[in-house]
This record gives sequence, C-alpha cells and structure tokens, in this order.
Amino acid sequence: MFTRLLWKLLHASRGRLVVALVALVSGAAVISALLNLQFDIERKLTQEFRTLGANVVIAPPNVTSAARSAAEEPALIDEASVWKVLDPNLPKGNPRETRVEELKPQLEFLAAAPYLYFIGRVAGAPVVVGGTQFGAAFGPFGLEPTWKLETGGTIQAVEGSPSCVIGRNVAKQLKLSVGSPIELQYLDQHRQFVVHWILDSGAAQDSQIFVDLRAAQSLLGVGGQVSLIQLRVNGTPKAISQYTAHLAALLPQYEVRPIRQVTEAEGELLSRIRLLILSMVLLILVLTGLCVLATMAALAMERREDVGLMKALGGSISRIVGLFLAEVGVLGAIGGLAGCIAGVALSHWMGQRVFGTAISARWEIFPLTVALMVGAALAGALPLRRLGNVKPAVILRGE
Amino acid sequence: MATLVHVEGLRKEFGNVRALAGVSFKVEEGEWIAIMGPSGSGKTTLINILGGLDTPTGGQAVVDGTDVARLNEAGLTRYRAEKIGFIFQQFHLVPYLTALENVMLAQYFHSTTDETEAREALVRVGLKDRVTHLPAQLSGGEQQRVAVARALINHPKLVLADEPTGNLDEANQETVIQLLRELHNEGHTILMVTHDPALGCLADRRIDLAHGRLVQVARVAQTL
Repeated sequence: MFTRLLWKLLHASRGRLVVALVALVSGAAVISALLNLQFDIERKLTQEFRTLGANVVIAPPNVTSAARSAAEEPALIDEASVWKVLDPNLPKGNPRETRVEELKPQLEFLAAAPYLYFIGRVAGAPVVVGGTQFGAAFGPFGLEPTWKLETGGTIQAVEGSPSCVIGRNVAKQLKLSVGSPIELQYLDQHRQFVVHWILDSGAAQDSQIFVDLRAAQSLLGVGGQVSLIQLRVNGTPKAISQYTAHLAALLPQYEVRPIRQVTEAEGELLSRIRLLILSMVLLILVLTGLCVLATMAALAMERREDVGLMKALGGSISRIVGLFLAEVGVLGAIGGLAGCIAGVALSHWMGQRVFGTAISARWEIFPLTVALMVGAALAGALPLRRLGNVKPAVILRGE
Repeated sequence: MATLVHVEGLRKEFGNVRALAGVSFKVEEGEWIAIMGPSGSGKTTLINILGGLDTPTGGQAVVDGTDVARLNEAGLTRYRAEKIGFIFQQFHLVPYLTALENVMLAQYFHSTTDETEAREALVRVGLKDRVTHLPAQLSGGEQQRVAVARALINHPKLVLADEPTGNLDEANQETVIQLLRELHNEGHTILMVTHDPALGCLADRRIDLAHGRLVQVARVAQTL
C-alpha cells in the first residue's frame, strides 16, 4: 500500500512536482559535472602544468653549501653521475623520456635536459649561451613542449652540429635571421655557428642562444660537465616534492629541488579551483533546496485536507509525513540520477572546452550526487513539517 | 447490554464560547443514537470529542473503557484507528485514490491492507462495479457508500456519522439510510448527528442538544 500511495501522491501532484524535479535535475546536472571536474581536475591540471616545462632542477650545491665544503663539491655537475641515476630504465638516445620505475613507480618523469650556461660574446655583445641537447630540450617530446619556433617546424639537431637556436630578442638585437652565421666567443675561444631556428618562448630564453651541449663543453673545456639538469616530472605538487626528496637522497652531492614557481602555482590553483567548485556545489544545493521548498510550501497547503482526513482515519503523523518525505526522496533520487546523466555529458563538454580532452565519467559521482539531491529535496521539504500541526476536526469542518 | 459510551459532565470551550456545558449520557452497545439540535448546539463538537478528533475542556468521555480526555496525541491516533468509524457529511474521500484505495487507506493506518476484504466491503455497499473509480467519477450517494465501507472496514466499536445524508438527493438518502439500518441490525453502535427528523426517528434513542446543554434523552417512540 505504501508504494501504491507513493505513486498516487507523485501522480496527483505531478504539475507542482515537475517544477521541483526540473530544479533537482538542473542542480544535479551542474553538481555532478562540477564534482566530476573536481575529481579529474588534479590529473588534468597536472597534465596542463607539465606542458609548462621543467618543474625539478638538479644543480650544483648553492653558494652557502659550496662555501661550507668547497674542497669536495664541484661548481658544475658531472653529467654521467646524474644519468647513472636517471638512465637505467631509459631507452638509449634522446630525448630522455620514459618512466623511472626504480625511483618512484607511481611517478613518471616525462623529460630531462642538461644545460651548460655561460656568458659568451657575439659580435662583441655579451649574451647568455646555453649548451644543451636540442631534442631533449626543444623536441616535441622534450622538456619544453610549448616553446614555439618563429620559423615553425621542430628542432632536430645532430650532436656536434654547428646549428644554433637563438631567442627572438637576440635575433632582433643582433639583426640575425635563419641562415645567418655567428661567431661565438668565450674568453679566447671562438666557434662558428649557423642560425637554424629562432625561438619564441615568451620567457628569458628569448634573450639567449642555445648551442649543442658537446660544442659548448668543448668551447668551455669542461667535457662531461653541465650547469644543471632540468626534469619535467608528472604528478601532484605533493608527489613531485616526494619524488624530489627521493632523487635528492640518490644524488647527495647535488642540490635537487622543485621549481617552486611552477609547483606552488599549481598547488594554489588547485586549491582555488577546489574551493570554487565546492562553493558552487553548496550554492547550487541551497538554490535547489529553496526551489523545492517553494514547491513543497504550496504542496503542504494543498494537502492539509488530505492530512486532516488521514489523521481522522487513524494515521500517525510520522506515518503520514513519512509518506510525503518518501515522495520527496523519490523525487530527489530521480532528479539526482537524471541530472547525473546530463552532468556527465556536461562535464565531457566542459573537458573538451577547457582542457581539450574529454573528462571521463567518475561513477562514484552518481551515488554522491543522488545523495546530495535527496538531501537537498528533504531539506526543501521542511514545510511539510507544518502538516504535523493540522487539526483534523478543523479541516473536516471545512475551515 | 453493556455500556459502550459513558459521557459525564463533558465540557468544551473555544475561548469564551462554550460549545458543550456539562453533557452527560450513556450509550449501550448496539444502540443507534440520533443527536439532534439546532446549529451551534454542540452536536459536531460532541461527536468530534467522542471520535478523538478533539479534546474536551473538562468532564469524561469514556468509549469502550477508554477515557478519550486522558489520551495524548499518539493515543488518540490509535483510538481513532482501532475504535472509531467515521462517516462525514462531505464524504471526505481522498480525490486521487480509487474507491478501493480509499477503503484500503483506513486498513493501512489501522494495521495491514487486505484488498480482497476491501473489495468485499465495497460489494456490500453496492459498489461492485465502482471499485476502480475515483471519487470524482462517483455520484454523491456512491461516494457516501464508499465512506461507509471505509468506516466499517476495521470493525470499529463505534460508528460516528455526522449528517450522513445531508449532502444527498432523496434516492441516495434512501440508499444510505438502508445501509445504516443494516449496520444497526448487525449490532453496530451508531451515533448519528442529523437535522432530519425522519432520519432521527429511525434511531433507538434521540439526544437533543441546545446551547451546549442536553435538553432531553428519550427513546424515539416516546418523542414521536
């Protein structure tokens, strides 16, 4: 009889209940889309941030620590000692990218590139020069996938090549273009290069020149040594910090640290997005609850006579209001479920628009959204409590 | 016969208005009592108190050993479900439930539902072909017969009828009167509020009220 009555109640007030149902479906759709986004945002943002480039750097010890133990510690990094740690599971050749399973199985470092920096001179003008492995640094799967070349295409230099990459500011200042020969001077050493690519990084690298690492090492007379090695590590800010600490333990002679600008910005952005999503979910819940409340207030007035009669027939108020609350709960569940389905489609669309990839449906969203909608619907059903005060004698008199 | 209803010094006040001013009477099991009097005499208030729909300001209203005045809200709910069958002037059927479901609703609040028994109750009041009809699809007389079936479905100790024929045309009045006769013949105790002297004459006894006071309690034969 309970389900029979429930169905009759739903059917009898369908006009009013449709309004509440629309509010519940809409609320559930947006909430489930936001929650889906919330659950997936960390992964998506991490992916997005990784395209921003390096987030971990291996460098010689800083000045303070170097001063403490200047005798033992080198000013440059011995490349081989680092690659010995990073390379075991890597395929041979550049770019160096794959998982480093032995370091942290759940993490992946996507790319690594060595740099040897020095101040050289071109046509008498001082310029920051970086020796690097072009593929590892600039390649499509390299450290800095978002850097663009003014000339288009990709950089695929062969080791020892006289080709060089110059930043667009350098090109402008020295009036260089693709194909221009340059003579790079460091102290009394000179080396000829040809401009093959002009870099547009939007960062400090636009004012630098990049040459092949081996050529730079040869020019400086520091074979096998580099200024620093940068890594692009996948994972959350916390995971990256853990990874960095682990790597630091394996390379105690060097300083291994996350690039704080990137990781902190990532962490802060994640926190803000989470707060924003949570605030929006709460706001939508309140608005949905208010909409249900308005409907239920009208419904409570409509049902006073039914309640009066039910009480006269011996219906306890808990049983009568329980019946109405079950009706609202069913409404919330239907609204939540239908809204979830719409929300998955919405989050799919939002993922495409914001991140350029689909956000996969998280199935745990379904029970969570349904529970939230049932909660909002029941909270909105507070006016039904007033039915408890209905006096059957008054109602049956027709007052 | 045992006393089923014992009313003693029953008072009910609504603010300054005295609806009942110390009414006392007894009703034996199986009796059909007509409560009569002009408007505002306290008839409906009396029947509401006996039905547990209202509480008295003072006095006693003992029905089947239960003093209604002493019951709390939960007690009154159980009392209504178990001991009372109501028949209202306005029928008071739930508009979105069929005739059958309206009868079953009383079963639901009493204990458990039994569709077969509810169907039989409707057959008994001559509504065999109307069980799946909504109240709006039934005539006034048919609606009142559904109300009678609903009032009897839980085998109440006391049937309270408030102007049961007040809203019916002559033909339907006759049908309902016939039903009440049958109930009386089966031994049901009926307290019926009516303005209709002809209907009042069918009862065993008549209680006349005026201004909340009991004017007379007399056997119907004596008043005729």
